[in-house]
Amino acid sequence: MPPELYTVDRMAAIWVERMSRSVLSSELAAEFDRWITTDPRHVESYARMQALWQSDGFEDALQEAGDSPPLPAVPNDNDPLSWLARHRMMASAMAAAVLCLIFAVPLASNLLIDRVHYEARKGEARQFALVDGSHVTLSGGGVMDLRLTPWSREVKLEKGEAFFDVAHEKIRSFSVDMGTAQVEVLGTAFDIDRRSDGTVAVQVFRGLVGVHAGAGRQWRLPAGTGLEIAGDRVRSLPEPIGSAPAWVDGWYDAMDTPVSQLIEQLNRVSATRVTLADPALGNLLVSGRYQISKPEAVLDALAVTYNLTWRKAGDHYAISR
Amino acid sequence: MPITTKAKSPGELEDWPAIREAIRRYVRTRTGRADMADDIAQDVLLRLIALRETQAIGSIFALAFRIADNLMVDTNRREIRQSGDLDEDWPCDAPSLDRVLDSRRAVEVLSSCLRRMPPLRREVIIRRRLRQESCRAIGNDLSMSSKAVEKHITRGLVDLRQAFERAGIEPVGE
Repeated sequence: MPPELYTVDRMAAIWVERMSRSVLSSELAAEFDRWITTDPRHVESYARMQALWQSDGFEDALQEAGDSPPLPAVPNDNDPLSWLARHRMMASAMAAAVLCLIFAVPLASNLLIDRVHYEARKGEARQFALVDGSHVTLSGGGVMDLRLTPWSREVKLEKGEAFFDVAHEKIRSFSVDMGTAQVEVLGTAFDIDRRSDGTVAVQVFRGLVGVHAGAGRQWRLPAGTGLEIAGDRVRSLPEPIGSAPAWVDGWYDAMDTPVSQLIEQLNRVSATRVTLADPALGNLLVSGRYQISKPEAVLDALAVTYNLTWRKAGDHYAISR
Repeated sequence: MPITTKAKSPGELEDWPAIREAIRRYVRTRTGRADMADDIAQDVLLRLIALRETQAIGSIFALAFRIADNLMVDTNRREIRQSGDLDEDWPCDAPSLDRVLDSRRAVEVLSSCLRRMPPLRREVIIRRRLRQESCRAIGNDLSMSSKAVEKHITRGLVDLRQAFERAGIEPVGE
């Protein structure tokens, strides 16, 4: 958390405690109104703190902690500077150091920057070994650019889904830009799905990643968690199964997933395009494990589930009622 | 609830659009739902305008958020009664902070953070929130100033919020 946000949270905590008193002086009342109106983030921080204070969960936790023996304190990582900030500071210090080196050596820095463009043909996921030792599986139709510098590893995922198994490096950070959101990692394995409707989904299989979605929205995702960002809406995803996403092996795990999303997955793999006769069919929800490497089998399963029909019409499959 | 103390002078006008926006933001942060935020903000605003006719209001925002708290509880009750899906962690698309906080996992995270705190801080928070003791009473019992009591609570709350954020997935800001 940046020091600035830490201060906001601290003020919010002070106000939450004051608001739980039976009397508030007129001076404090006026001060609260002033504080609330100075910055919209104050309202949000206050809302989050008040949610904690008022929750039954907090009450249960206090009861539990009061009845249980204390635990050993952990090294304090609640400093105003979070790991992310610290990591960034370290990275920029390193970057500065490396920059000095570069300028000391008479070398055009362009020589040190690698740019590589990766594409996977429609219907065919591809695996790439990056020069830093990381591995990427790019879904069919996926497009990404890699920019390697002595101080950073930057991926821009233009389209599709990619599973990253990142080689750990102390100095060079690894980041993925999806346009509306960015992911920053140390050494880790994670999946990013950039869907055609603008939704971005991130699932972490190992390690820890930080996600930034602009406007101060940021999350830290440990292994076993995932997040889906669609504009202003954010929801968490169920814990991923296994050590890599199912699509890498030609499968897709749906869990109350809209049919439209399943079709998008199919179209990344299938050489023959799948279409819906009625777009409303895309809103139907499906659950289960689908072998997307066999599109026709998936269509059969879908047809049985919702009493639909499908046929091959020229260059595409058409699904209809 | 500390609300009625000194009124604004009658001629002074409230900035109702700003108040409405603050309520919307408050409810949206807690519920993750824009529709509920709009409805509740409108409702709160009408009540505030009516109350202001007859009462002196110390902090318009403190009152607004308190009314919103109550309306959120009412709305949740009504929706649960109507749908009956009590088991669903997050029945709507966006995770509701209020619901997340009541989950078993949240209780574990908060409880373990509390157990790692300095014992004095834990004691202060338990007395303040669980037993509803005043800062002054807690200070007298534990031989410290009210200010020191407040500091423990503030620091403890920030630690708890951060433990919660660290443990899982929670939007920070919007």
